[in-house]
Amino acid sequence: MRQAVRNYLVFLWRCGRLAFSGDWRYYTWMGALSVFCLLGLNAYAKQFANGLIVTGMSDEVSWGVYIANFTFLVGVAAAAVMMVIPVYIYNNEELHDLVIFGELLAVAAILMCLAFVTVDLGRPDRFWHLIPGIGQFNFPASMLSWDVLVLNGYLLLNVHICGYLLYCRYRGRAPAKWFYIPFVFIAIVWAVSIHTVTAFLYVGLGGRPFWNSAIVGPRFLASAFTAGPALIILAMQVVRRVTAFAPAGDASRLRGEMGGGPRPKGRAAALDDLDLLARHLAEMASVPKEFRQTILAGAMVLEAKAGDVLLRQGETENESFFVLKGRVVVRREEGGRFRITRSLGPGEQFGEISALAGTPRTGTAIAEESALILSLPVDSLRKLMTAPKMNKIIRSRMSERLLITDRALMTLRSIVQVSMLINVFLLVNEVFKEFYSGNLHVASAKYLFVGLHGHHALVPWIWTAIAFNLTAMVLLVLPVSRSLKWLNLTCVLCIVGIWIEKGMGLVIPGFIPTPLGEMVEYSPSLNETLVCFGIWAFGLLCYTVFLRMSVPILQGRLSKANEGASEFALSGAGERPARPS
Amino acid sequence: MVLLVLALVFFALGLKFVSGFGTRLPATRIISLVDTQFLDTATFRKSYAQLIREKADLSDFDCYACHEKGKPPVLKFDAQQILIVPKEHEDVVMKHGTHNRNNNCFNCHDEQNLELLQARDGRQIKLVESPLLCGSCHGPTYRDWEAGAHGRTGGYWDRTAGPMKRQICVDCHNPHSPKIPPRKPAPGPHLLHPAAAVAAEASH
Amino acid sequence: MPTPTSNTNERDQSSPDGLSRRSFLRSSAVLASGLAALAASLAPLRHLNDFPTVEQFLQKYYKELTPEEMKKVLTRIENEVERQYGLRPHVRDLKPMNGVEFVYALNLTRCIGCRKCVHACVAENNQSRNPEIQYIRVLRLPHGSLDMEKAEHNYNPEMVPEKGYFYMPVQCQQCKNPPCVKVCPVHATWQEADGITVIDYNWCIGCRYCEAACPYWARHFNFTKPSIPKERLNLDMAYLGNRPRRQGVMEKCHFCVQRTRVGRYPACVEVCPVGARKFGNILDPESEVSYILRTKRVFIQLKEELGTSPRFFYYFDV
Repeated sequence: MRQAVRNYLVFLWRCGRLAFSGDWRYYTWMGALSVFCLLGLNAYAKQFANGLIVTGMSDEVSWGVYIANFTFLVGVAAAAVMMVIPVYIYNNEELHDLVIFGELLAVAAILMCLAFVTVDLGRPDRFWHLIPGIGQFNFPASMLSWDVLVLNGYLLLNVHICGYLLYCRYRGRAPAKWFYIPFVFIAIVWAVSIHTVTAFLYVGLGGRPFWNSAIVGPRFLASAFTAGPALIILAMQVVRRVTAFAPAGDASRLRGEMGGGPRPKGRAAALDDLDLLARHLAEMASVPKEFRQTILAGAMVLEAKAGDVLLRQGETENESFFVLKGRVVVRREEGGRFRITRSLGPGEQFGEISALAGTPRTGTAIAEESALILSLPVDSLRKLMTAPKMNKIIRSRMSERLLITDRALMTLRSIVQVSMLINVFLLVNEVFKEFYSGNLHVASAKYLFVGLHGHHALVPWIWTAIAFNLTAMVLLVLPVSRSLKWLNLTCVLCIVGIWIEKGMGLVIPGFIPTPLGEMVEYSPSLNETLVCFGIWAFGLLCYTVFLRMSVPILQGRLSKANEGASEFALSGAGERPARPS
Repeated sequence: MVLLVLALVFFALGLKFVSGFGTRLPATRIISLVDTQFLDTATFRKSYAQLIREKADLSDFDCYACHEKGKPPVLKFDAQQILIVPKEHEDVVMKHGTHNRNNNCFNCHDEQNLELLQARDGRQIKLVESPLLCGSCHGPTYRDWEAGAHGRTGGYWDRTAGPMKRQICVDCHNPHSPKIPPRKPAPGPHLLHPAAAVAAEASH
Repeated sequence: MPTPTSNTNERDQSSPDGLSRRSFLRSSAVLASGLAALAASLAPLRHLNDFPTVEQFLQKYYKELTPEEMKKVLTRIENEVERQYGLRPHVRDLKPMNGVEFVYALNLTRCIGCRKCVHACVAENNQSRNPEIQYIRVLRLPHGSLDMEKAEHNYNPEMVPEKGYFYMPVQCQQCKNPPCVKVCPVHATWQEADGITVIDYNWCIGCRYCEAACPYWARHFNFTKPSIPKERLNLDMAYLGNRPRRQGVMEKCHFCVQRTRVGRYPACVEVCPVGARKFGNILDPESEVSYILRTKRVFIQLKEELGTSPRFFYYFDV
């Protein structure tokens, strides 16, 4: 028990150290974010001292950019987890690595949501009044009480799932399915609920006809599933770029070369080699000796020197490999740059996906140091996988690849495409309903789209948002957005368009005109804007730290096995791979 | 290098925060306190009954200081048969009813006894009971007033806790020109953010 | 410790972690300055308007206070007001009277739009003068329409009433089915037995959800510390009524609980110069409001279609 606690604390400590280490780009990025966080904190201190009068809000427009950002970010948090559906329900392997990043984005988004709600409170020192049991919790009547429950529950769910999966990977263990799969499915349902509950905050108010409409909930979800995956598409490309190893041509920094180097020499495998494997792979140890004999047909053992290439990206061969001794690094080349996807030690496997699927190799495997590699032809591999325990461990490890492929991004693009189409369709529905009948309840919609009684501050904003959304929709439908350059532009248009639409296009017009017909407009004060920037910077800071910790874990570079290793070696790109001491 | 710059930036930021450089709180404009006349619960006018309660100067109501007892005053009318108000009573403006319906002082006052009022059937009514006279024509309003629905009520709604203060007709209505005169309103509301007010004004 | 990675030639070979003294100092400098900036960023808290005391922070929910605890709270409030204004008030916790349900009736034929009710309310209930909080808002509407979009809030003619318009004062309607009570996440506002929807100012967290929910724009928020002129402070206070509020909490018309629960009329009723405002106990058939609801044939509840069932009735005479 003490050992388990010690292990976990060491894990946290190493993760924490990692958060502070990086190259100059990392420090610049984190430094800039910290500056904004501090400016935001200072602005909030001013607000705490002087009251909400330092914002642009008033009795007439009593919710502003804080709640607008909150609404947008709840959508992002919900959408981040919705990527889980293709992976766990449709077994889409391409998206597998993105699931963790999506959930980490959800965690960061929820933290931002909680921050935005807290800064909006008039008396945040009375937060304990909200705690069920201790305070007075108006559940189930108040939708805000629902929101408190679902947001915090969602945070815990995602922290558990990510934390557990990452810790298991760190420990080199296969995660126990019962301990996370049920939570994943709960999280899927919960993700829809957090955004629906947030929508119901607005929909339930009969006194605000602009919000009191059934279409608000579906619009929320449609816009969330547009903006969320769009954010992930952009974020994943950033991750891809900053975890890139070295530009092509700088490969001499590695001990090894791409496209040169002969295959290492090999000999036929024997039972002793399988024993060696069994020492490092517990599941192998449970395979009976008679069975092991049957898989030796065609099996080879390769003696690799440091730098020897074991398999090459793009080739179609059907061997799979197990590391018996030493370490192997798997790299992937994309767009002239290399990226380490995995660093493997004894007992670990590579090349099995392409062997089983008959697809080209997705990366190049190079021995980091002198290594002994077991090579199995695909028939032997299939035979081996008839043993249940081996099947389980091989399959679970297959799904643990850190691969952000372009195909994964294209899958996300499809999600954004469909969601944006639905979003625009719902917008058309809303505009028709508001303007066709000509009844008096359209005052807020009129104010938003065309101006009312000489007030038209929001009109340019909403039309910009509509232009962005329509352009994005057209681009998404056309094949041109399959190219990453256009896709990125489209994603930016989606995110900005939906941010404006959800924030200024939904929250603010609900207050103008007031229920008594008064027209008072709203614009955020400088202080308010600084607080918003501060919270966004905080969220980005959190997400960067999460990625900083999780990428090395997923790549195998931060694991229990190399606990004593130099931290120096784990930080940033352009470094020599870790050496176990 | 980056770290050094960062340290300097943090230091500068700290100085800015502590010194409050560049800080501007929204300027508070002056909103003057409302004039106390708008908080006054007194009625528009003081009726004879009220003057009696206050033990004020009642000389205005001493009719026989000028008139002769037993001699009903004679009314004068002009060419269009409209009453000419004598100049001793020039403060009285006859505007009780359109179309000169109340063109005769003795529709309400008793010419035989100027200290009394008279109903149309000749009944005499004391000045302090003037609502009876008003009610003899203004039936629905009188019924409402009796129930408390017309006119001002003050004091206690719970009669067991204290008295309700009901005003009589002439506490508010001048019997000769009963229409409530227009008056200056109290100031309107001030918006929280003056800039928003400026924008609102500009667009009207 | 943060480890710089871009300058490998600075690595001190003798230290096991590859950490050099220079990089250690550098990263400590950043950490120290960062922490200093963090502390400095909180500098505005020096000017905190009023930080809650431990007692204020821990005060229990109104409905959970025992009579002894309530007594302590009332004394504490009296002390606070005395400390701030130099005058000692009398704060009571008044409970609803038995057999009473309050109803308000407003005669739209009579209202002249003079706004005396607005200011009498402000004076009676110790509302902030700057920024201005007013529970009552008088709307000027053109003859023949109740469309709020046509309302003018800031009319300022030489004389009222103006020809062609009528005036409609709006305040909390004390709805039978109040949306504000439904949405408050902490039960800081609730409806009492006599029909008044009250707020526990010491429990409200200032989320302003009730303000968004109210269809009558009746709820108001203290965007900063309220300012009440000492010379106009009303010292006759009630806990759920007109005791001074603090920054960050909601407030609204509460039918002058400090008056009505001892049998008096609210301030707005007393000051109305034309007797347009009528108030009383609907459960008493002899009250003027019972009479009005019995005899007047047309009366309006604002936004009736929303199902809020207001206890505020607008009626006409002629």
